[in-house]
This record gives sequence, structure tokens and C-alpha cells, in this order.
Amino acid sequence: MMLSPTKLEGALDRLLLADANALDSKDMTGWLTNYAEEEQASYYCRAAENTEHNLELGFMFDDCRARLEDRVIYVTEIWAGTFQDYRTRHFVQRVSHRQVDASTAEAMSNFSVFMTPMDTGVTQILAAGRYLDMVRLSGDGRAKFLSRRAELDTSVLPRYLVYPI
Amino acid sequence: MADATLTWPKNYNEVPKAAFTRSDLYLEEIKRIFHGPEWHPVAHESELPNPGDFRTIRLAGIPLLISRDEGGEVRVFYNACSHRSNQLETAVMGNKTEFECPYHRWLFSAKGELVGCPNPREFVPGFDKADYPLGQPRFDLFYGLIFVTFSAETEPLDQFLGEAGETLRELMAGDGRLKLLGYQKVRYDSNWKGYNDNDGYHAPLLHAAFKMLNWQGGKGRQYTATKRGHVCFESALSVASGPSVLKDKDLIAFKGQDPSVGSRIVQLFPTFVSTKHLDVINLRFATPIDAETTEVHYAYFAHQNDDADMLRHRLRQSSNLLGPCGLISMEDASIFHRIHIGSHTPGNAIFQKGVRDPAKLESEFSQNDESGNLPRWEYYRSVMGFERAQA
Ligand code: FES
Ligand SMILES: [Fe+2]
Repeated sequence: MMLSPTKLEGALDRLLLADANALDSKDMTGWLTNYAEEEQASYYCRAAENTEHNLELGFMFDDCRARLEDRVIYVTEIWAGTFQDYRTRHFVQRVSHRQVDASTAEAMSNFSVFMTPMDTGVTQILAAGRYLDMVRLSGDGRAKFLSRRAELDTSVLPRYLVYPI
Repeated sequence: MADATLTWPKNYNEVPKAAFTRSDLYLEEIKRIFHGPEWHPVAHESELPNPGDFRTIRLAGIPLLISRDEGGEVRVFYNACSHRSNQLETAVMGNKTEFECPYHRWLFSAKGELVGCPNPREFVPGFDKADYPLGQPRFDLFYGLIFVTFSAETEPLDQFLGEAGETLRELMAGDGRLKLLGYQKVRYDSNWKGYNDNDGYHAPLLHAAFKMLNWQGGKGRQYTATKRGHVCFESALSVASGPSVLKDKDLIAFKGQDPSVGSRIVQLFPTFVSTKHLDVINLRFATPIDAETTEVHYAYFAHQNDDADMLRHRLRQSSNLLGPCGLISMEDASIFHRIHIGSHTPGNAIFQKGVRDPAKLESEFSQNDESGNLPRWEYYRSVMGFERAQA
């Protein structure tokens, strides 16, 4: 069944905002729940420069559900206490979308992410770019990421990354 | 210009923190080191595999254009038009067999010849296109790794590398026949020496991942090569066995050909770091931006003989293991920043581990010794002309 335009937009926007909120709250478990419970659920973060030259390598390459789950462990356990923490604020704007079939939609959104390191308190831009999302729709009008690609215009990061973008 | 001086401590294991922070020293370093008689790796030729492929970079501010001509030959040029020095190419990478400067439309071949310019009759009498090729720094290749130097004095590349060349060759899969997987690029808030002093191998105390993955560093050798103190590591890696917190074990799987030596690192003076760790082949091209900023381009490679499975494995491992967001190296990046901040305090940084006698320099070390950095510091001191305090 195809969703009505309003329902589809509502479902996509709730997902986009839920992800921004989870990331900005450093809620990695919440971040994970935005992804479909499917083996091929994936998250990639890479410079658009790589993609444009057919170079698949990224900053983060979580091409299966197991890797998404591992990323929660990296951030919450393995790296805990080793880095200079920073706050982020994600600003996300959906620019196009389309329902592919009854259970799938795709969406493209612009993002910009501000970062404020806790030690300096000086706000900088961390990255700008686009999300290319493949979204799983369920019967009750909920949406989850089947795959999210954060394609960064920012090919040179101003800092190391702890949290996904 | 007033001499940028700094009194160096008498002990070899002490480094004045001011060396990391003084901007007058930085200007002198650019002159004596980056524009001086040193070789700097700028790319691997596998980053431009096809005829017409090019890349541009800036090394200590100097814009470079690296191109492969139609016949397959790789050359390094200054990325500046031979007319009035307009930046010639603006793309970071691409494919072109001709480069046109838009300002007055001079046209250059991938060999660097000036092949066309409008209205030359109005130029200085006797103007000849043959006198205006693109300028070139000296460059040379080592198993495909492209080095440049801006000084006529620099000794031949083989001599510059010394014993480090052999480890570097092994690190680049033995034959340098690499295939580019992609880049991770980042700027660190760190002086270039703070970056170089702390990248490469270091005590696994920092890395919780080693412990959590039930992964002990194996036995290994650390040695320094040539008067520059290039640092080389060759270590066995015992791959994690037993329970692991990771669901995707392939991240730390070792599928390659080189099982006895799981980890190789070559750090060349002044800024280059390269590593082979498990199946990751990573060349890190670094350049100072200013006294407090270093830009690092992490380039990752497969081998040309890899089958599809191995290629996929390298891609998955390379993206998530090392680099500025890697499982076992994200903390390194944080250390670069923090060392730089902490170095804005009085006194010296004092190296401890592996220092048997502060009055002596050695060239063989254990894997986890910090003293492997000391020959490089001694070379830096001598190049900068800093006097060592008397005992
Ligand atoms: S500066 Fe390039 S053509 Fe004049
Ligand atoms: Fe490390």
C-alpha cells in the first residue's frame, strides 16, 4: 500500500528528527533504534569526493546490522574517557523523497552539523553534506533506516569523529 | 632575520616544549626542513592509475600538480601557470591530458609543455613557448611512492631512505603494486611535530580496544634508520582469540599474505607515516598548515592482485580500523590535540620508556619504547642549529 503524501512526509520527518535528536543527545542506543532490524541495515559516512571518484572507502563503513551494533560499543565502551568530548547540533532539511514500493521509500536531505568542544566552548562547523536514505516503512506508518549514507561536502574534517554524523 | 634560537637540554631524552609552539621556529622549519634538503612523499602512483589522471595537493603551502601523461609517465609540477603563476588546476583529482590556465589561456600538456598561448606576437620579442614549460620540483619514485624535494642539495632518495626503504617496500605489499581504496582527510589542532611524534606505534596503554578485544601486541622490533632517525616497526600481531565484544569479527580478521608480520610502520622525517596493520595498507601524507595545524590525508590501498573478497575485506577493515575515526586509532587523534595544548607550558617533555642512558642515542629499540623518537629529535635539533646545553 502506498502512503498518502502527508503520511509519508510525516513518517520521514519523524525519522530524520529522531536521528538528529539521538545523535545530539549522544544516545547511541536511540541512534541504533532508528535503523531497521534487518541484517543489511547500514550506515556510511564518507567524503562525497571519494564517492564521486568511485572510491568506496569512508570514515565509517557500517554495512550490516552487526557493525551498527558494534559502533554503539565503540562509542559507549571502547572509547569512553579517551577523547575530548564535544556537543553537536544537527540541522536537517529534507529536499526530495519518493516511495519506491509499499515498504520502501528513499529520501535525500541536506545537513549541517555544528560542534562545540567541551574544553574550548568555541562553536565550529563540523561538517556539511547530504543524507541519502533508504527507508523501511512499516504498516503502522513508522519509518526506519534501511541504509543511510552521509555524504560529506567536507572532504577535510576539522577534527576526528567520535559520533556518527 | 634574527636567528630563531632555542637552547636544547643536555639529555637526549628531553625535548623543549617550546619547539611545538613557537611561531618564529615554525617559519624557520619551513625554510630549513620543508623547503630544505628533505624528501617528502606526496602521493602513490596508484592514486593516478590511468593515462591523464592527475592530483593536486599543497605541501607546506606549495601547490603541486601530479599528472600521468598519455604514455603513462608520472611527473610532478608546480601547480602554477608559467606566465603569471595563476593556480593552474583547481580540482583535487581528475583526468585531463591538457591543462588550460583561464587567465590568459595558456595551454599545457600533461608533460608540462606550453603547447599554446594566444597572440604571442605581442609578447616580449623573441618569446619562445619552449622556454615556458610548467616549473618542476625534483621528484623521484620508490615502488610507486612519489617523493619531492625543493632543494638541489638533497641526497639521492635511496640514501635518504636507507634501511627504512626495505621496511617501506614490504609495507607496500612487497612490490608497490597498489590499488587505491579512498581517502580520509582531516586537520589536527597540532604542530606537525606533535603529530609526527605521536602517530605510529605507541604503548597499547592508550587503547582500551586492545584489551577489550583480548588482543595483545606481539613481539616486535623497532629501529631507526639514517641520521634522520626514520622510525620503523615490524611486529607480530596475535589476532584476538577467545571472546570479543565485537559482533563483526572481520574488522580484526587477518586474511593477508604476511602473517608473521602483522604490523609494519615506517615514519619518515619530517611528517610521513605509513602502516600496514592486519590487511590495512595506509599511507599518511601530512603537511603543516601553520604552527598549530597539521593536515593529514590518510590514503588506503589494496593490492592489484587481490580478488573481489580480499578487496571487500580491505575496504571494510580500512574504513573502520585506523584513521581519525578508527576503532583503534581515534584516541590517537585526541592525543595530538591534547599534547599540543599541554605543550604550551614551561619546560621539557621527558621521554622515559626504553631510555637506558639519557646521554646516549641508540638505534635499536623494543616495540613499545618511546625512545625510538629520539634520533629524529637529535636530527631536528641539528638541522635547526640549536645548541645542546653542556653537561
Ligand atoms: S597567468 Fe596563466 S595564462 Fe596568464
Ligand atoms: Fe594508536
